[in-house]
Amino acid sequence: MSRISDLIERLRALVFPSRREREMTEEIRFHIEREVEERVGRGADPGAARREALATFGNIEAVKEAVRDASGVRLLQDLGADFRYGLRSLGRDSLYTTAVVTVLGLGLGAAATAFAVADSVLLSPLPYREPDRLVRVGQLYQQNSTVWQLSTVDAQAILEQQRSFEVFGLVAWGEATLSGVGTPEKAPIGAVTSGFFRALEADAAVGRVVTPEDEWADAEPVAVVSHALANQRLGGAEAAVGRALTIDGLSHTVIGVLPEGTEKLGGVRATAWPVLKLRPPERRGPFWLRGIGRLREGVTLDDAARDMEAISKRIFPVWASSFQDQTARIAPMPLRDTIVGDAGRAVGLFFAAVVLVLLVAIANVTTLSLARASARESERALRVTLGAGRVRLARLPLAEGLVIGLAAGLLGFGIAVLGFRILGQLTPNLPRVDEVAIDGRVVAFLVACAILSGILVSISTMLAAFRSSSAPVGQGDGRRTGSDRRTTAFRSALVTAEFALALPLLLGSSLLFVSFSRLQRVDVGFDPEGVVSLSLALPDARYPGYAEVQTFWRQLEQRVAEVPGAFASGLTSELPPGQAGNINNFNLIDRPVQPGVAEHLAPWLVVTPGFFDALQIPLLEGRWFTEADSATGPPVVLVSRWWAQRYYPGESAVGRQMIEGGCVTCDPTTVIGVVGDVKYLGLAETGDAVYSPLAQSQARTAHLVVRSRAQPAITLKAVREVVAGLDPELSMEEQTLEARLADALTGPGRSTALLSVFAFAAVALAAVGIFGLLSYTVRQRRREIGVRIALGAAPSVITRMVVGQGMSYATAGTVVGLALTILEARWLDSFLYGVSASDPLTTAAAAVALLLVAAVACWLPGFRASRIHAVEAIATE
Amino acid sequence: MGESGDLLQGSLELLVLKALSLEPMHGWGIGQRIDQLSRDVFHVTQGSLYPALQRMLRKGWIRAEWRVTENNRRARYYRLTASGRRELEAKAARWRRTSDAVNGILALRSSEGTM
Repeated sequence: MSRISDLIERLRALVFPSRREREMTEEIRFHIEREVEERVGRGADPGAARREALATFGNIEAVKEAVRDASGVRLLQDLGADFRYGLRSLGRDSLYTTAVVTVLGLGLGAAATAFAVADSVLLSPLPYREPDRLVRVGQLYQQNSTVWQLSTVDAQAILEQQRSFEVFGLVAWGEATLSGVGTPEKAPIGAVTSGFFRALEADAAVGRVVTPEDEWADAEPVAVVSHALANQRLGGAEAAVGRALTIDGLSHTVIGVLPEGTEKLGGVRATAWPVLKLRPPERRGPFWLRGIGRLREGVTLDDAARDMEAISKRIFPVWASSFQDQTARIAPMPLRDTIVGDAGRAVGLFFAAVVLVLLVAIANVTTLSLARASARESERALRVTLGAGRVRLARLPLAEGLVIGLAAGLLGFGIAVLGFRILGQLTPNLPRVDEVAIDGRVVAFLVACAILSGILVSISTMLAAFRSSSAPVGQGDGRRTGSDRRTTAFRSALVTAEFALALPLLLGSSLLFVSFSRLQRVDVGFDPEGVVSLSLALPDARYPGYAEVQTFWRQLEQRVAEVPGAFASGLTSELPPGQAGNINNFNLIDRPVQPGVAEHLAPWLVVTPGFFDALQIPLLEGRWFTEADSATGPPVVLVSRWWAQRYYPGESAVGRQMIEGGCVTCDPTTVIGVVGDVKYLGLAETGDAVYSPLAQSQARTAHLVVRSRAQPAITLKAVREVVAGLDPELSMEEQTLEARLADALTGPGRSTALLSVFAFAAVALAAVGIFGLLSYTVRQRRREIGVRIALGAAPSVITRMVVGQGMSYATAGTVVGLALTILEARWLDSFLYGVSASDPLTTAAAAVALLLVAAVACWLPGFRASRIHAVEAIATE
Repeated sequence: MGESGDLLQGSLELLVLKALSLEPMHGWGIGQRIDQLSRDVFHVTQGSLYPALQRMLRKGWIRAEWRVTENNRRARYYRLTASGRRELEAKAARWRRTSDAVNGILALRSSEGTM
């Protein structure tokens, strides 16, 4: 019974708080009026009666508080009241509110975006069941830590001998021409064994995935396709199953369609997944397969590593004739590491930058709110005198802070939604970027950050309220009191911190900028102007052998040479700059590597002589390829200058001989000339390269490059017509080399731009912070400055005094920031080209720039101080 | 008066219940009645009555309703509930026991001198 009445009373108080308050006020008013009547009735003077009645009753506010306390919903009610108070007082100060909500909202939005990226890329589990049991199997070399793919030999040995995996599958990926369904088109494909799907536990939405029977040599070729491909070209998921799809000229039957949205499996993006049939190997290479395994229950990565090592030891000696690096071993590694790769560091950098900006924003908003609190000191003092409790008073700034935090969180949410859109477009190559989404975790992070920043922003004001809540009216009227001085000291510390945090950002973005401008000025080794390229792949089915392929390439070159305006053209297996697709091992006959040590590696290109002409790569020594360098002639190569200087420093490389690709039974290859360096490995890399003549290769994919005086669009149209005239079934992918070069700079350009935005924001916030602090102290010291001016101080002396004070904070902050940049340096180095992260010149420039900004921000309040009118300043106090 | 101890608070509740056991009353009336009942021994700061009333409302001992006074004014009247009546009896019995015990101790002390 009493519990129910308790509940009803509490609910009444909670649901009708204003009614409850009204009733209480009315009841007390009635009480006092009745008391006055009583006293007047006994013959008292009405005025005196009222005074006495009030005195007998006690402090009305205190009684009301006690009744509220007794109603049992005190905390909730107060919270509501505090929030309403917070909203009202913030509403009155719309300029302040807009400023802090914007600053904090931008910071929170950026932080939420960064968190979402970091969360999807680095933290959240892969979208497979028990992803920790998934491993990638590749080859490791002790000499260099790069991971190589597996060869057919390795793959078959693992399939037969392994004891660690529940399932082991393989995938080989690349581009293939899809035809037989509409216009031929190049598409990413992943040829897979049945184990690949089973290890990942990926199933088809319609139809089935690859089974072991499909891998048999005489089985009909089958393929699984993505939902998008089925929809776009096969008439929908249901209709797709059973249809024929020609992949690189070979007809495959579609057996299944993956669920919508599954574009990537095991870190491989593909639109079609044909069955992979392993043929008996002849030598240990090439290395073209990625192994994906699901560890058995209870088997650790170390167990699997021992298992793989044992297999390496068994099979490597068997194939030693074609591969002699004894430091190599087959090794498992977490699939996650493979998928995330190097992006982890970039994402970490991005996240760290955002956190720094958010901290600067919080520090800035805190200084603003402290300034506002000082300005409202008299209001607060009045409340103290009226009997408001310390706790209540300290809670008000908290409520305000939380209102600000939540409003900023809301704004931040909007910014994050926008940020995701932009991010998806800016960084399509970021692994797992397609998984980035605003999910519960991101929202939880945002809310937590919003509340935390709300608390951080208000905490100093709360403490200030606690400290000086005993100060009576009259002391908070703008004169410097003890607590006021402490608050100013705290604000100075915050401003110093802002500078300390801004410097690493400024230095980071300056370094990236220097690095970027160096990258832009890199000699790429070729002239991209007016060069267009068309990528072609000749399908096995129609071009079965060497003769057909070579005939096509020769005809193509001849016809293209007749295109009006085209004055140079050629074929190449790789386009600069960017990732070199084919890296080959070789051993120099006159300088062989030690037995058991890995052979040298170099980017290996297959080109026609016209390629050098089209790209204007100079011959530095020796001779070009000729007609004689054909399949029947001895194997020859051209090498880059970097290669020549690396392996034959101070000597001529021409005439040297090497064993290519570990093929000891092949004829040795002779270096016939040295050409200029071209950046195939990327702009920041060396110009290492070896060129083989196309006539001596089996290459059935190539890029046709054409240099023309005509507009690229016109040239491309003409060249497309030439190719279609030779074979209308071929898919073509066009590009201009200028666009390619621009693409290579896009990534570094974007990270530079992004970090610059953060750095700019941090520096601007720091400048605003120091400007606000000095403006405030000048106002506080108006009288003192007035006296100084009255006593004859020159305006310049006053300005110097104020600027000096500000600059001492800025300098202290910069010094602390310099210490922070030492920590930053190690981290940043891997992002930089041509400049060290601890580059003294850039560091000094960033520090000086920061101090200059500070000086400008300090000068304005300093100048204003010097214009204070002495008499007025003293009189108004 | 807000910081009244447990004993005092308990006794205030007892007095309020006692006052209300005679007839429903508004807050000021309760204060007056307590003054009369205690023959001015307990001087209750009038304001402190209201938090006590609020607590007792929650405990279900009393009910409150707005009524018109004899002078045609609106006032909040409190009346005892059944559970309030039981509480009054329990509280009164406890009070008697306590005061008997205290009186006994005091009598003991005065007869046996200081300890």
